[in-house]
Amino acid sequence: MRIIAKLDVKPPFVVKPVHFEGLRKIGEPKTLASQYYAQEADEIFYLDIVSSLYRREILFEEIKRTAEGVFVPFAVGGGVRNLDDMTRLFHCGADKVVINTYALQHDPELIDRAAHLFGSQSVVVNIEAKQWDGWWECYSDCGRERSGKDVLKWVKEAQERGAGEVLLQSVDRDGRKAGFDIDLIANVKDKVSIPLVAASGAGSLEDIRKVYLEAAPDAIALASTLHYGICDIGAIKKMLNMDSKVGG
Amino acid sequence: MTGKIGLIDYGAAGNQESIRRALIEAGGDVLIVSDAADFSKVSKLVLPGVGGFHDVMAIIKSSGLYEAILEAAKVKPILGICLGMQMMATLGFEYGETKGLNLIDGEVRKITCKGPIPHIGFNRLEQMGDSPLFKGISAEDEFYFMHSYEFVNYTDILSLSSYYGHKFVSAVGQNHLFGVQFHPEKSREAGIKLLRNFINL
Repeated sequence: MRIIAKLDVKPPFVVKPVHFEGLRKIGEPKTLASQYYAQEADEIFYLDIVSSLYRREILFEEIKRTAEGVFVPFAVGGGVRNLDDMTRLFHCGADKVVINTYALQHDPELIDRAAHLFGSQSVVVNIEAKQWDGWWECYSDCGRERSGKDVLKWVKEAQERGAGEVLLQSVDRDGRKAGFDIDLIANVKDKVSIPLVAASGAGSLEDIRKVYLEAAPDAIALASTLHYGICDIGAIKKMLNMDSKVGG
Repeated sequence: MTGKIGLIDYGAAGNQESIRRALIEAGGDVLIVSDAADFSKVSKLVLPGVGGFHDVMAIIKSSGLYEAILEAAKVKPILGICLGMQMMATLGFEYGETKGLNLIDGEVRKITCKGPIPHIGFNRLEQMGDSPLFKGISAEDEFYFMHSYEFVNYTDILSLSSYYGHKFVSAVGQNHLFGVQFHPEKSREAGIKLLRNFINL
């Protein structure tokens, strides 16, 4: 299972939204990206969490600076509206692009066009799931805007349109450090054949072990867990390695 | 032979910025090549990945790079990365059937196996052939893969890898032409080492 360091960015800082609200400053994107790269993160995700919300331009220079010296995949999202945005991100040093708001709320075909030009493997669809009675709804704009779309249906549609990976976040669990939404993750995993990156809720090594054993995502994306030094990447890898040996 | 490394620019597609940075880290002198006229200034070529086979081949054909790459391939070392490797094949099947550069016999077809596709993540090289590209690289080293298609070829294989029990071609080579399915530019120090081997050919 890949371990991804997720940087939620409200320029110029990496912040940590609690429950997708109330932001705390953590540090500079470049410093943290270098730090997690040195700690052997398998990938770095950079998500500008206010770009869509404020309808402002993507800050390409900041992204370019952050990508420097990161010799593992660097995925970038937040405010991505069209193929030109994506091309510019690749030219800044991105290896994958992350799409949510514009595909979900305005133009689902953006996924098809991106997969055609860049290949599925570089197109990550970000899902912000909110639980209701008996279903999960897709949100956008960092958990602020409803879409009315069912997560399990949307994830399937995104895959059919050519998405190569799903980043699954939970509006309910994010930043709470009280465990992953195992039920959500297992349900989504069951619906798709593309790799699933589970996020939101890790508060201990045990939480990570639990999601690994019970929902088997292909990767996990960690933010608070790493920012606050709750777990370090080496310890997580060591633990997972032991579990994978036990499990054969 | 040393000299400038020409990094092919597909325009809209490709993660050439990541590769440019990794080549510099590996000690390379890099020139971004987007025009046939630039080919005389470089001694080696890198074909980046991150793109769809059909669309990127169309870009190469319409930009005049196609003939220039074929001409360069007669004498200059080339390293194809991911899609760059796949396009060196005869035929590709991503979004329909598309002719490749036909530098190395083979077809590029969708991976079929039990694991999630695309195959994404770090993986090892098995049964590595004797190649200057692999100098100093061991079976313990890990390389980053992100692909839904694989090179189907049984003659010019340099290495195989396994994914959910499925063996696939992770590197091909024929004289001075090389292709790697993984992304050396995103494979930590092991990847930089491989790029340095290519630079030093």
